[in-house]
Amino acid sequence: MSDVVVRCSGVTRTYQDNAVPVVALQGVDFVVKRGEFVSLAGPSGSGKTTLLNLIGGLDRPDSGTVEVDGVTLNDLSESELSDLRLHQMGFVFQSYNLIPVLSAQENVEFIMQLQGVAADERRERASSLLKDLGLASMAGRRPGELSGGQQQRAAVARAIVTNPVLLLADEPSANLDSGTTQELLELLRTLNERQGVTIITATHDPMVMGYSKRQVNLRDGEIVEDNSSRAA
Amino acid sequence: MSEAVAELPAQASSWSGFRSAQIGWRNLWRNKRRTWLTSGGIAFAILLVMFSMAMQHGQYAAMMENATTLISGHVQVQATQYIDSERFEHTIDEASVLRRQLLALPDVVAIAPRVEAFALVSSDERSFAAQILGIDVAAEAATVRLLDMIDDGRVPAGPDEAVIGEKLARNLDVAVGGELVILGAQKHGGVAALVVNVVGIISSGMPDLDRSLLLMPIAAVQNAFGLGDEVHTLAIRIASLEDSAAVTKQLASRVPADITVRNWNEVLPGLEQAIEVDRLGGLIMYGLIIILVTFSVVNTFIMLVFERTREFGMLLAIGMRPFGIVGLVLWEAFFVWLVGAAIGAGIAIAIILGLADVGLYMGEAMEAMAAQYYMPPRLYPAFTTEVLLVSPLILLLGTQLAALIPALRIRRLRPVEALRSE
Repeated sequence: MSDVVVRCSGVTRTYQDNAVPVVALQGVDFVVKRGEFVSLAGPSGSGKTTLLNLIGGLDRPDSGTVEVDGVTLNDLSESELSDLRLHQMGFVFQSYNLIPVLSAQENVEFIMQLQGVAADERRERASSLLKDLGLASMAGRRPGELSGGQQQRAAVARAIVTNPVLLLADEPSANLDSGTTQELLELLRTLNERQGVTIITATHDPMVMGYSKRQVNLRDGEIVEDNSSRAA
Repeated sequence: MSEAVAELPAQASSWSGFRSAQIGWRNLWRNKRRTWLTSGGIAFAILLVMFSMAMQHGQYAAMMENATTLISGHVQVQATQYIDSERFEHTIDEASVLRRQLLALPDVVAIAPRVEAFALVSSDERSFAAQILGIDVAAEAATVRLLDMIDDGRVPAGPDEAVIGEKLARNLDVAVGGELVILGAQKHGGVAALVVNVVGIISSGMPDLDRSLLLMPIAAVQNAFGLGDEVHTLAIRIASLEDSAAVTKQLASRVPADITVRNWNEVLPGLEQAIEVDRLGGLIMYGLIIILVTFSVVNTFIMLVFERTREFGMLLAIGMRPFGIVGLVLWEAFFVWLVGAAIGAGIAIAIILGLADVGLYMGEAMEAMAAQYYMPPRLYPAFTTEVLLVSPLILLLGTQLAALIPALRIRRLRPVEALRSE
């Protein structure tokens, strides 16, 4: 097993914004090793979310290559990317993005159901994880009946219940107050340190940056600083 | 495919059953007002089409039953040449033997033998051409309702008694008790001459019949016209009109080669054509209703797909395949249909069953017009499999298509763009 989980080489990405080309990434080279907790930081438009999306296979680069756990994403079809995301990655979104008509427990089970995990195992793993994340009593509630912090914890549970190689979090604290953000970050740190989950977040929240072991700063689509020696 | 990805387990398809249906059902109630409006449209369309179709089918059944039991019978047996040429000499030989054989069949209820001749009928001062119909009064009464239309006098009992059409009586200036002389040509060229007393006047409401009909006991007509045991027609009543095609086939296998058995729709082609024209008109109307409702469902699902683009983006991002998401939308469309169909069909069935015994009175103005088209004054809805299934199933197909059209947009959705949508 390679020590490198993510390898981006010469990645460029340009968007069309009302027919005006906007360069989001220009020749980014970026490597993340197994077990790292990396925050991609930078002002709005710096390209951090674009880089996260390319690593997650949600978008494709104009040039350059993106590899995740030894697989070059450029070569994959949409279906193959779907399978890769399902089995190898976990996503945590800014606005939680839980399925509103499913309870927290059902949301966590849902992704395992896509994977074809047996019903008993699904139930057991989801219950156990929600209990670990302090949501045991909320398991039957739908997202609309949960606070922002509870929803984000349920989203984290959904993202990690499949034991992904990589957890990608896009502005995970954007809708949370500082207390809840701290709880979430403690959770992510625990996952990273105890279970060895590789985490990459895109954020402009200093608190999130403070919890990550490595901070990569982007500006105008380029990495301007990579502090890989810092500790939380 | 990359080898590393190929080693990953394929996305499970089992999820698409219960969980997908569960999500579809719950999604239905995220916007209750929209669901009720869409399902309400479906319910209304199903109610309207089911009820109209039931009334239409009931009307056809009544028309067919009324028309066939008036004079023609459900099935007719005639010499093939008589059907082609209507010439007097083309008869069924040994008719009483054939009649007995056919009567023995289980589906045959009654058979009325008839002799049909044209003759000159004269009263004291006037003469008119008439259609002489020789009938077996008892068999005729058991087969059709022709004799029920005698509104003055009684049925002919003896060989010198006749019942004539109301307009013919007026033309000849005779009434019940009057005397008529009949002159015709025998089968083999001799003169058929009869003197009869008018014992009844028949009023069918059908101008051709009332202007020309003269009913007499069959034996007297056979004797006078030199026919022996020959008839022109065996009019048959069967147990159920619905089985007439099958019974016709069965009867056809039991008659000699020069005899033809015809189902009611061959005997009365105009009636079948009228029904088909009306049915086609109905289908066009039902089609328009269903298309209108389907468009409203398309509109609902276009809105729904646009509103949930971000959610679909999230599902794509976590690894769900586009067709799985299309499946969620189709389940939702199925439940929209199910709610509408349950309400619409439920109300329609209640109304149809409620009217099944009492019927729907068409009103005095319609009564006379209805009679001209063999219609009874009350219409009874018919509850058939077609009525029960056609509109709900077409609308099921319509709602699935209506949902599929916008849902196919999901196939082209890119997760990163979908996640950005508001």
